This record gives sequence, C-alpha cells and structure tokens, in this order.
Amino acid sequence: MGLLAAGIGAGIVAVGAGIGIGMIGKSATESIARQPEAAGDIRGAMILTAALIEGVALIGAIVCILLALGV
Amino acid sequence: MLQAFRRVLVTLLIFLFVASSVKAAQADEGDSGSVIDVMGKVVDHHYLALPGYDLQLPRIMLVEGEWYFYTSTEAALNSGDFVEENGVLVPASGSEITLDMSITSHLVYVWFGVVLTLWLTISMARRYRRGKGRKTEPQGWFQNLFEIVFVFVRDDIAKQNISDEKYRKFVPYLFAVFVSITFMNLFGLLPWGVTATADITVTAILAFITFVLTQWNGSKDHWEHVFWFPGVPPLMRIILTPIEIIGLFTKPFALAVRLFANMLSGKIMIICILGLIFIFADLFGSIAGIGVSFFSVPLTAALYILKAFVGILQAYIFTLLSAVFIGMAAEEHEHHEEGIEAHA
Repeated sequence: MGLLAAGIGAGIVAVGAGIGIGMIGKSATESIARQPEAAGDIRGAMILTAALIEGVALIGAIVCILLALGV
Repeated sequence: MLQAFRRVLVTLLIFLFVASSVKAAQADEGDSGSVIDVMGKVVDHHYLALPGYDLQLPRIMLVEGEWYFYTSTEAALNSGDFVEENGVLVPASGSEITLDMSITSHLVYVWFGVVLTLWLTISMARRYRRGKGRKTEPQGWFQNLFEIVFVFVRDDIAKQNISDEKYRKFVPYLFAVFVSITFMNLFGLLPWGVTATADITVTAILAFITFVLTQWNGSKDHWEHVFWFPGVPPLMRIILTPIEIIGLFTKPFALAVRLFANMLSGKIMIICILGLIFIFADLFGSIAGIGVSFFSVPLTAALYILKAFVGILQAYIFTLLSAVFIGMAAEEHEHHEEGIEAHA
C-alpha cells in the first residue's frame, strides 16, 4: 500500500513540477524573444523561480521515498 | 590532428569512468537479496573505497561518558567491547552509544572539498598579494578561470541580491560555499568517488550556516516583518506571525533538501541504469545483459555529462538562494509608513 501511494505520489509531484517549470520556461523564452537584451536578467530570474518550485517538488519526492522505504 | 587525438582521449576517459563504475557495481553484487544494491551505493560507509581496496576508517564512539577509539570497525569488533547487530555496532554491555563520532566516507569527501577550496583560495590570495593580477593581468588559464568564477559570484550573485555595500561581507562565504559544493558534487562523478552532498546531514549543516548568517545579519526591519508585520490589520498578525516564524525555518530546510535530493537522484539514476545490465543478465542470461549494455553505457555517459552540469548548477542555486535569503534579511526598508496609509 505504501509502495502504491509512493508511486502515485511521485507521479503527481512530477506533474505539478512539470507544469510549473514548463510555465516558467514558456514565459521566459517569450520574454527573451520579445526583449533579447534582457536575456541575462530573465535567465537568472528563471533559474531562481525554477529552483523554488523544484524545492517543493523534491520535498514531495522525499516523502514518497520515505513511504516506499516504509520508514 | 591534435583535435582528433583529444576527442579520442576524452571519449576513452568517459568510457573508462563508466567501465570502472560498472566494475564497482558488480563488486557489490550478491550482498543482498536483489541483484544490485542501489541504496548501498549511496548511503554512508565506514570505509573509503579505493581502487581494488577498501580503506577502513577509524571509529570514535562515546558510550556513557567513556570514549572508545578504534582504527577500524574490525578492530572494534575484535576488542570485544562492541558487537554487530543488523550491520550496526552496539556496545557488548547492552548500553547505548551516546555519540558516534566515527569518520565516514562522506565526511572524508567533505574534507577533500574543504581542503581543495582552502588550497585554491590561499594559493590565489598569495598570487594577488604578490601583485600578479592586480598590477598585471591574471596569468595562466587557472588564475583566469578563478577570476571568472570569483567575479561571477561577487557581481552576479552577491551584488545583485544583497543591497548596498553590505554584500562585501558575504562574498567570502558565498564563494567558499560555491566552490566547495561544486567540488563535493563533482567528486561523486569520479570512479570510486562518493557524493558527499548526497547526504542530508552534509547539506543540512551547510543550510544551517546560511540560516545562522541570515538571522545574525537580520536588520530591525527583518525582525519587524517576522513578529509585527507592518501595514496589516492587527487581527491578521495572529495568522501572519506564526507563518513568518515557520517561514524562517522552511527556507534553509528547502535549501538542504534541494541539494540533497538532486545529488541523490542523479546518483540513483546512474546506478539504476547501469544496474539494468545486471538485472537483465540475471533474468535472461548474459546475452541479454550484453545487449542491454549497448543501451545502458552510452546513456550513462550522457547522464555523467548531465550530472556534471547539474552539480555546478545546484552549487550555483544554493549560493544564489543563500544570497537571496541573506539579502532579504539584511535589507532595510524606508517605506513602512506609506504601506500603512495605502492599506488604511
């Protein structure tokens, strides 16, 4: 049961993080296309926001690992 | 000609690394029930894996006020003071270990990272003190590389996120963290190497240092924002203050977990993909194993390059977020009164 929960949970975590980071990438590429001279600043902001989203996703992933290992 | 030779050399090196990883993975085969012991490759050990030899590390334990020193786990067992239970040492007298200060493989690799960082910074500082790079241009690719990284940390990480002249104080810390995390991440890519940052205790300590620095340098405004959020109705503060206090601790927690989980997942992925060879060989015979290796080995080589990139990127993210948190705490606002008016 724990294994099942971990598998489903990891999938949902991946979906959430994928949507989030995908949206960041979308708007970042759009804004770089619109204003190529601001590419450096946009890239920095993009990495920072992606890291914040990834943090939440990884906490979810850690919970899934703990569930799977039955700790 | 030289280009082609270099390309062949790099390819050979990558395959050598992958091959040695395969060999190391094979050596552990049969220890547990499953064909390949994935978690055994990533957890901490009391020995240092060297080519063809496991160097046993000293065990230092405090049991009820008394220190025990042994040169290896075996010596601890032979002395009769300790017995092994489920792979863990416990005192033979039945009491509990108060404090286990044993030196482990992850700790040794943290030391490697710290020593390399010290060597790098001290040798470079000596060069600059002698005038090389200050009166003249930086000499040699090494000093140029150092200067690029240092200027990057100073201008793009510290200066942008920490306001005013305060950033100067934090550049040494940020640079040290950046370089040592990069070293620790990249050590994990070497054959027999251990990724020290794939251990939650290591990253937690790093995040704890950032946490202490952040709070220590917190301005009056930072604490006001935590305990007495300006510009909101008084009733809201009942909700906001606990959230802000929790927020103080979730930031370094996320910092630690992010680095840890990234390095751990990269390592597990490489071991699993290489492990497919042994799993297939075990299930369908050695021909299937050879067949899978044609798929696994190039994929692992690609993953190695990805992991090298991720290792540097995660060091950058850790440093960047440290700078952002320190900058947020050290910032001094001057617009509180306006905020209250705007909300009223």
